[in-house]
Amino acid sequence: MTARTLMNPDPATLRPSDTVAAAADHILKHHLRHLPVVDERGRYLGTFSIYSLLQLTLPKAVLDKHGLENVSFVTEHVSDLAQRLGGRREESVQNWLNIHEVAHPDTPAMEVMLLMLHGRTTSVPVVDKESGRLEGVVSFWDVLEKLQGENA
Amino acid sequence: MHGSETQLASTVIFGLNPMWYAAILFIFTYVVIMTERINRAIVSLLAAGLMIFGGVLNQEAAIRGIDFNTIGLLIGMMVIVAITRQSGVFQYLAIWSAKKVNASPWGILAMLSVVTAVVSAFLDNVTTVLLIVPVALLITEELRVKAYPYLFSMIISSNIGGTATLIGDPPNIMIGSAVNLTFNDFAFNLAPVIIVVLIANLIPIYFIWGRHLHAAAEDRQRVMDFNEHEAITDQLLLKKCLAVIGVVVLSFIFARFLGLEAATIGLFGAAALLLLQCWPHDADEQSRLVTHAFTETEWITIFFFVGLFIVVHGLDSTGLLKLLADKVLALTGGELNATAMVVLWSSAILSAFVDNIPFVATMIPLIKAMAPQFGGPEGLMPLWWALSLGACLGGNGTLIGASANLVVAGFAERAGQPIRFVPFMLTAFPLMLMSIAICTVYMYWRYL
Repeated sequence: MTARTLMNPDPATLRPSDTVAAAADHILKHHLRHLPVVDERGRYLGTFSIYSLLQLTLPKAVLDKHGLENVSFVTEHVSDLAQRLGGRREESVQNWLNIHEVAHPDTPAMEVMLLMLHGRTTSVPVVDKESGRLEGVVSFWDVLEKLQGENA
Repeated sequence: MHGSETQLASTVIFGLNPMWYAAILFIFTYVVIMTERINRAIVSLLAAGLMIFGGVLNQEAAIRGIDFNTIGLLIGMMVIVAITRQSGVFQYLAIWSAKKVNASPWGILAMLSVVTAVVSAFLDNVTTVLLIVPVALLITEELRVKAYPYLFSMIISSNIGGTATLIGDPPNIMIGSAVNLTFNDFAFNLAPVIIVVLIANLIPIYFIWGRHLHAAAEDRQRVMDFNEHEAITDQLLLKKCLAVIGVVVLSFIFARFLGLEAATIGLFGAAALLLLQCWPHDADEQSRLVTHAFTETEWITIFFFVGLFIVVHGLDSTGLLKLLADKVLALTGGELNATAMVVLWSSAILSAFVDNIPFVATMIPLIKAMAPQFGGPEGLMPLWWALSLGACLGGNGTLIGASANLVVAGFAERAGQPIRFVPFMLTAFPLMLMSIAICTVYMYWRYL
């Protein structure tokens, strides 16, 4: 079994120029966790996820790779966090992408599952090796359903 | 010692005169280091090997060229810092200082600059900015003010503060070790002028940026609401660290009286702190903690030093640096005043563009060779202070003048408020010249 047999070949996607507001609405409405972002030629650029939304509520100084590891001294209220997210609603999603490890259509199923485990993600983008086009997304739920089906 | 090494050098395998071979290898090494295309530790170790293969030095002589006092002190301090930073004490200090001035934007800029300078005097400058810049960025974000003036001032302050003590900046460690100067010698001779230089630099920074900084009352309140005690992540560890650092600093102060050299103090302090941190834990956790402390040690810097010491020792053993020293003395008429000024100003200008570590490594044997002219090693003291002030403060001249500058520039870039080479230099270079002018006056007043 490979990523191709596991994946959803027609996932919902975003364009890099889509706004944070639009992406957030989509995520909330459909209770999604990950939205792959593709350019006009269908190439995978990264993923806008619930973690991107978390990042959008935090100060940049906290997100830096050498940033603060402990911010328990900051006593902000929820309103401060909401205000920060609100101020960034019109930014485009391309600044807030998480780059995930990707699978290829012929990646074996076990490797895909290991990617999920190590990447702490519930969805793995499946990308064509040569063109970089997004071919589909393997979600944790698709895999579980397949496994259940085998046992039935 | 040098006699036998020169004899060895006459059997050089590449058929070149050993002085030429060493000089060409030395210049080539420094050029490759400057291009930054290959990691500097690799370059200096390869060059050290080529000094030996070329017959300039044998392995025994090469190892004698390595200043293990510098290496040991650097490693010891790096381990102590790696453990201490886990306690969150530096973030505490930064937040505490910001609240002391009621979170006023200029007050915070001045306070963070002073904190950066003081911490840099005891810690490596890169470590200092890695610890304090994230707090500064968070505060500027909360205050909704530009981060640039803060970052600029912290770069300047870090290099200034590092000049003040034996352990503040690698050039001082090298000079102190080579000439057997103590912590106190540096504190008495350099700290007074460094305080003046720091204040003098903050004045133009106030007029250029400080007086234009404003923040809304509610934004200032958010900073005032920070609870600095929460920044301390491990109270017990903090107490252990402060105890060890206290004893280490006291030992530095009484080093001459105790008959101890800096590396012994630094490495013993590191081992003592590791013991305090590890002893309640089981073997697995102990090895995790020790591994972490050792991983945080900057091995690139350490091995860069090792290779560099060998390369410079190779060059020195051919007698070339002695020749160069004679040339400099001929140029200055053998006068102490003129020689000190040449050392101060040329170190400053050069260090603004090239790494000051290889520069100082070369200058140390060169200045030592001048001893006969100035009545023995005692007469060289003003030159050592000139070298330290020039090489350390010169790093403020441009964005590439010191590693700490580039680390801060990295933060600025990622925060979306980049520090560009030319705009930085247009303000920083004149400030650096002003600092060196202050040092010139100080040197004339005190030593010349």
